[in-house]
Amino acid sequence: METLGLYNNVEEAAVAVDRLVAAGFTEGQITSLTSVPYPDGVLVKTWRHSILRWITVGSGIAGACAGFLLAAGTAWVYPVQTGDKAIVALYPTGIITYEITMLFAMVGTIVGMFLEMKLPAWGGDRPYDARISEGYVGICVRVDDEKGAERAQQVMKETGALPTIKEAQVIPALEDTA
Amino acid sequence: MSEQLAPIKSAKQLNDEMLSSTRTPTWRWYALAGILGAIVAWGAYAFFYMVTSDMSCTGLCRPVMWGIFIVNFVFWVGLSHSGTMVSSILRLSEANWRRPILRAAEAMTVFTITVAGLFPIIHLGRNWVFYYLMPYPNQRELWPNFRSALLWDATAITTYITGSTLFLYLGMLPDLAVARDRAVGWRRTLYTVLAMGWRGTAREWLIYHKASTLMAALVIPVAVSVHSIVAWDFAVTVVPGWHSTIFPPYFVIGAIHSGVAAVITLMIIIRKVFHLEGYLTPLHFDNMGKLQLVIALLWSYAYFVEVQTTWYAHEPIEWETFSFMSSHYTGPLLTMIIGCSILPVALLCFKAVRRCIPAMLGLTLLINVGMFIERYLIIIPSLSHKNMPYVWRGYTPGWVELSITVAAFAGFALLYTVFSKVFPMVALTDVRELEAREAEVKFGRAKLTAIAGDD
Repeated sequence: METLGLYNNVEEAAVAVDRLVAAGFTEGQITSLTSVPYPDGVLVKTWRHSILRWITVGSGIAGACAGFLLAAGTAWVYPVQTGDKAIVALYPTGIITYEITMLFAMVGTIVGMFLEMKLPAWGGDRPYDARISEGYVGICVRVDDEKGAERAQQVMKETGALPTIKEAQVIPALEDTA
Repeated sequence: MSEQLAPIKSAKQLNDEMLSSTRTPTWRWYALAGILGAIVAWGAYAFFYMVTSDMSCTGLCRPVMWGIFIVNFVFWVGLSHSGTMVSSILRLSEANWRRPILRAAEAMTVFTITVAGLFPIIHLGRNWVFYYLMPYPNQRELWPNFRSALLWDATAITTYITGSTLFLYLGMLPDLAVARDRAVGWRRTLYTVLAMGWRGTAREWLIYHKASTLMAALVIPVAVSVHSIVAWDFAVTVVPGWHSTIFPPYFVIGAIHSGVAAVITLMIIIRKVFHLEGYLTPLHFDNMGKLQLVIALLWSYAYFVEVQTTWYAHEPIEWETFSFMSSHYTGPLLTMIIGCSILPVALLCFKAVRRCIPAMLGLTLLINVGMFIERYLIIIPSLSHKNMPYVWRGYTPGWVELSITVAAFAGFALLYTVFSKVFPMVALTDVRELEAREAEVKFGRAKLTAIAGDD
């Protein structure tokens, strides 16, 4: 489960993170929710390990195999003899293989990105406040039990966290948006 | 470091301004969409008339069997080239001025390649067997023919349209979350689904930036390959005027030339319509103008090389085709040279021109008129004067072809108009990130930017 504290700005949120760490929470338990990215360490330190590049490479290799099998394999299995031309034509095979490689790599990158982000995730036990989009900063702590949640909430309260909106999460900033 | 100075605009103000394009449409928007929709409907009627009668209603005849449909195809693929490519290059080079431009450029690519992808299908005599274009195992042993350049086109366009759409969506992901948080009704449902539950955690931003960089790096070679493959449609034949090794790079440069011009044109229109003068400033037009100047020089060089090789070698068939083109299409040829080369090179050297919005609008429109003519001059004169003189014949497009051509422009405009009403037209989190990075903090007696360089 996660506990959210909402702050007016980056400075207040950074103080809250320091206090949470001092209270015994680890950096791995704390994350920030922001509508613009901040460099690592401004608010929290991120676990930077990612296998996204390898997912892209793996998808590309899968695409190369699929493209080659589609072009060369099709020509081989269903031969169409045209004059004295080769059954498996290198030039078209190269083009199809290249395009399918890139297609798989791009699709793989997006799929891998969502896998690594653990998205899509609609609703569920994921605290959020729509005011984050308006420049407020959320600090989220992952805890194991109610006791931990209470402890985190206490620290957040002491560091000036704002009450979060739970029911109506819409900010009617664009009044005529219907 | 101490005391952070107040930013010029709050996040809420920036959101309000940059999401203003998604406000409830006015009657003028509906009128525009209605007119564009009517033109598209007329084009659809012309297409179905052609399908239900036969190709004799077009101007196509032996030997000119590739007419204005293929001119359109090459032109629209060319336009699609620059949006994603410019966006990718600017992302990879971390040019900060790119931020307000990204969305307009990426959306342009998706819609132009969509329009381009329709033309090979429209061009087919028997449109209902269009699936022969797709690469799939030919267990019927009839078709598809992997040796056909049309099949390469279909593969490349499928890859490019998928990649460009994903790239556009990727860029919009954080913006969709912002839009979700302040929308109601069907918009909220739409944005909620598309935002995928994005909350902006530190981990999400980290992975997002890695994915953006990877996609930008992947989409550039795809863009180059698409127009190279379109060039090979011509260059791998033995038609005089087409059989040239310079065609792929020449086509790629020409595509970037027309694409950058189209991005600038759209920037000017968006700026005016959605009152984004504060975000699309003369600086952006200045920088894009410099880019256009460099590409205009490259295009001029490539065109000169192509023509001078024909002229100096004086190979009879090639020379006949060139002579026919230059003598029978002198007006369009001069318009093309003036519009694509002489005027851009002469005028874009001047900062005052690059920063003058009306001048840039006129110049970029002229470049694309010139590029459409260039596609026409590549295709029609070469086919009119092929190797066998007894079949030489001219070509004039019929009402069906002209209707479909006009409908293509209207269709693109309609797609763009609808998109701009549903999705934010400025990459708002990118712009806001820049604001956050450039916010000044006091350090001693000096003021420094809050975040220097990349993380």
